[in-house]
Amino acid sequence: MTSLRTTILDVSNEPGCARNASKSNIERKNGCTKQLKPGGAPGGCAFDGAKIALQPFTDVAHLVHGPIACEGNSWDNRGSASSGSDLWRRSFTTDMSETDVVFGGEKRLYRAVKEITEKYDPQAIFVYQTCVPAMIGDDIDMVCKAASAKFGKPVIPINAPGFVGSKNLGNKLAGEALLEHVIGTGEPDYTTPYDINIIGEYNLSGELWQVKPLLDELGIRILSCISGDGKYREVAYSHRAKAAMMVCSKAMINVARKMRQRYGIPFFEGSFYGIEDSSDSLRQIARMLIERGAPAELMERTQALIVREETKAWTAIERFKPRFAGKRVVLITGGVKSWSMVAALQEAGLEIVGTSVKKSTEEDKERIKELMGQHAHMIEDMSPHEIYKMLKDAKADIMLSGGKSQFVALKAATPWLDINQERCHAYMGYVGIVKLMEEIEKALYNPIWDQLREGAPWDEFDWKRQAKTVAQMDAQAVDPVRGANTNGVKTISFSNKSEIGDCESAIAAHGRNLVEPAKPGTNSTARGPACKDTFSDLQPSALQAAE
Amino acid sequence: MMTQNAEHILDHSELFRGDEYQQMLANKKALFENPHDPAEVDRIREWSKTPEYREKNFAREALTVNPAKACQPLGAVFAALGFERTLPFVHGSQGCVAYYRSHLSRHFKEPTSCVSSSMTEDAAVFGGLNNLTDGLANSYNMYKPKMIAVATTCMAEVIGDDLNAFIKTSKEKGSVPADYDVPFAHTPAFVGSHVTGYDNTLKGILEHFWDGKAGTAPKLQRKANNTINFIGGFDGYTVGNMREIKRIFELMGIGYTILADNSDVFDTPTDGEFRMYDGGTTLKDAADAVHAKATISMQQYCTEKTLAFVKGHDQEVVAFNHPLGVGATDDFLMTLSRITNKAIPNALERERGRLVDAMADSSAHVHGKKFAIYGDPDLCYGLAAFLLELGAEPTHVLSTNGGKGWEKKMQALFASSPFGKNCRAFPGKDLWHMRSLLFTEPVDFLIGNTYGKYLERDTGTPLIRIGFPIFDRHHHHRYPVWGYQGSMNVLVKILDKIFDEIDRKTSSVGKTDYSFDIIR
Repeated sequence: MTSLRTTILDVSNEPGCARNASKSNIERKNGCTKQLKPGGAPGGCAFDGAKIALQPFTDVAHLVHGPIACEGNSWDNRGSASSGSDLWRRSFTTDMSETDVVFGGEKRLYRAVKEITEKYDPQAIFVYQTCVPAMIGDDIDMVCKAASAKFGKPVIPINAPGFVGSKNLGNKLAGEALLEHVIGTGEPDYTTPYDINIIGEYNLSGELWQVKPLLDELGIRILSCISGDGKYREVAYSHRAKAAMMVCSKAMINVARKMRQRYGIPFFEGSFYGIEDSSDSLRQIARMLIERGAPAELMERTQALIVREETKAWTAIERFKPRFAGKRVVLITGGVKSWSMVAALQEAGLEIVGTSVKKSTEEDKERIKELMGQHAHMIEDMSPHEIYKMLKDAKADIMLSGGKSQFVALKAATPWLDINQERCHAYMGYVGIVKLMEEIEKALYNPIWDQLREGAPWDEFDWKRQAKTVAQMDAQAVDPVRGANTNGVKTISFSNKSEIGDCESAIAAHGRNLVEPAKPGTNSTARGPACKDTFSDLQPSALQAAE
Repeated sequence: MMTQNAEHILDHSELFRGDEYQQMLANKKALFENPHDPAEVDRIREWSKTPEYREKNFAREALTVNPAKACQPLGAVFAALGFERTLPFVHGSQGCVAYYRSHLSRHFKEPTSCVSSSMTEDAAVFGGLNNLTDGLANSYNMYKPKMIAVATTCMAEVIGDDLNAFIKTSKEKGSVPADYDVPFAHTPAFVGSHVTGYDNTLKGILEHFWDGKAGTAPKLQRKANNTINFIGGFDGYTVGNMREIKRIFELMGIGYTILADNSDVFDTPTDGEFRMYDGGTTLKDAADAVHAKATISMQQYCTEKTLAFVKGHDQEVVAFNHPLGVGATDDFLMTLSRITNKAIPNALERERGRLVDAMADSSAHVHGKKFAIYGDPDLCYGLAAFLLELGAEPTHVLSTNGGKGWEKKMQALFASSPFGKNCRAFPGKDLWHMRSLLFTEPVDFLIGNTYGKYLERDTGTPLIRIGFPIFDRHHHHRYPVWGYQGSMNVLVKILDKIFDEIDRKTSSVGKTDYSFDIIR
């Protein structure tokens, strides 16, 4: 476990992470993982993070060493697309039992590896550590080493048991495993001056394939994609790339930075979401390749392609203008750079009433100000409470966000569109942005929203009940803890930095009750609590009065 | 020639695929059938999918191909079975009765008790009086019903048998006691459809009890009370629906009489006892129904005459069109609440909220999809309204037994929603018309009864089975399609097919694995 602790400290100290760089020394010492609050409703664990980061490697057998739940609940929960092998979707687990816990699970793990080798003969086996074997001291590193030697096949330990921390930490630990055991262990058949790596891209709904034809056209080769539609061999020789594009910096910045350090591969952080970002990323790739020795004419060809694609995309967006006139959007994005989306949405005639800048750089913020004016409503870190209030006050017609905020939008009876990882549609590249417009149009004009807003037609406005509710909310405003408790809700925190518990407190503050446990969402893996509305006679005016 | 092997008996679906049978069939075709050139057959088939063919198809005047309707006596039998120990008696040819029985039994997977006066050629010449007299006497003695409800087939109608006079004469001849209940209705198949037969029979039964039992008893004097009468109409989901409706009434605390409640007789338990009759509206309740405050019909086009009759007895009458979805169910409940002065309880409001929740969770998948619907006029209306609520487009709505009034009503529904813009109602058309519609203006899904499977195979439009009859799937009739919970069932049925379809389109191994997803 010592080496695992060292690795964790190391990734927590990631100099490539902008957020980390802006921390004070003391803060940095505390590491980058958010401290979990017992009693909250947290997201996934480190194992989950490691698994989802690596799972898109398609020709690898992913073997989870642990009791059934770790794999049973996460089997095939990622909408990545594979152009080849289907092996990555097969569920392999050691399914540890009580006996294994008593006598140790190493032998079982070894036999499982053996059986996979015999029956599937994969390119490689990734062995994921989980809480139980880590606690009883199963040494998966040693088992993997022995198995590799015995079977003559890479058996890679992914040492990120759930208890070590958050999902994000797990992403990074997965990256570390690649750096330690995989990257640099193979050689490509040939190299070209046009070889790039794409890191932190998962080919969700096959969206990378919307961009790949453009790269193909320019003669740029994706030497390795980590990890969307990735193949083991490609990662093994990814150190021969000339440049890299870092897509989701939150997940795998350590991989990009260390590859630069070890192999001199320069990287940039970019995205293919939005028209301008797509163009910018293509330009960056061309620039970096030219700097690394590719012919300068690559830039001319890139520019020509950009002009052509941009014209097509802007023209396609044109037709949405009449449907979007007067519609207001709030944009809460995770890994997607805001300003690039802002430009496209505005071009289509949508008014952006707010955008999150949580993950944006100062430069990005300047761009947003340029686009949205000096009074741009930039949201640093909006709590679900604030989102709810904003939507309930009808300040926006639609929210674009990640799945986490879905139920906040639904409770506020506002159209919502998933633009983060669990969505079903491919929004990448020039084509993707047009698809996004289509989906926004559908969401805006879905008749269900009227149903949600109106409530049962026989409900007459109950003034007495309203007065009672308002009084209740006033009382809570004075004494949040007591107020929350009367609602039967254990409020965890009112600090606006905390993401946990804010959904509850938002609802509690509006006199609502938590009555049901987490419900399965349409595309969700792990979800926050569902906030159920029991005070359906609570009219918007009552809320405004209370706020 | 190798045929079956006693060691391993093959089912027909496999047996005839064997080489020897294939060879035999090919030889038969080549040597004896004088077949057309296959290329010519293909050419014609393709031509039959064109707009040009559609025009000719829609210009059809005399021929009906694949009608989506049944005949009046089927509805008559369906309605009569909804009364306590009542034996439906169809005066006419017996083959017809065999049809009604098998049709209903194949749908509900229950025996259908129904007798015929078995008219033959001599009866056709001399009139069916003797058959009716003997028939009443025999069925009264053999099956011990509490009431015999008489309807007619075409045969009796063509020769003009007068049921009122015949039943009177039969009673005089002593076939059944003079005060025995024998309500009747004329239900010729050459007028209307099964929904008309339902209407006529129900009206006949109410008329019998309320208006002096064909002159043998005093007319009932209405003493208004606070209960309501409920009529479901011809409904393939009667088993689930009636139970759901009773639950709703009980939740609201409403005193009610369900008229023609056949939910038990089409769902008898298997416990060793054969129940020729089970449940149903008691004859007393049928008579007392005259005192009700109002009568509510779930299906306007199944109850036009019945409601007019009830209205004539000073009751308020309200007709719905197979209410489905949030708005239509709201209307239904609010009407109940208004008439009875009972509040809609929180339990139902919560069910409403759950339906809205389910719709919000999944509507993105239904939104923008195009549907073709066919079936009885009320069902078509209810389904179309629900689809519009979900943001789908009920592009073609076809009802063989729908008329001009229905068409107007459908078009008004389309006009009320932006999603109805490109939708059209087709009254009096058949499933061969639907075929042309599906080829020339394709939709994403087809909603209809079992017979839609031919269209599904022919046109490749996935079929969602909602309607009557459903022969090739079991037990759908046990699940309600009314109320918020019933609407939820319909929503799930539609969604299941949508997701099945996504799976089907992405299930080719090694080709579309990338979209064959666990999470949808």
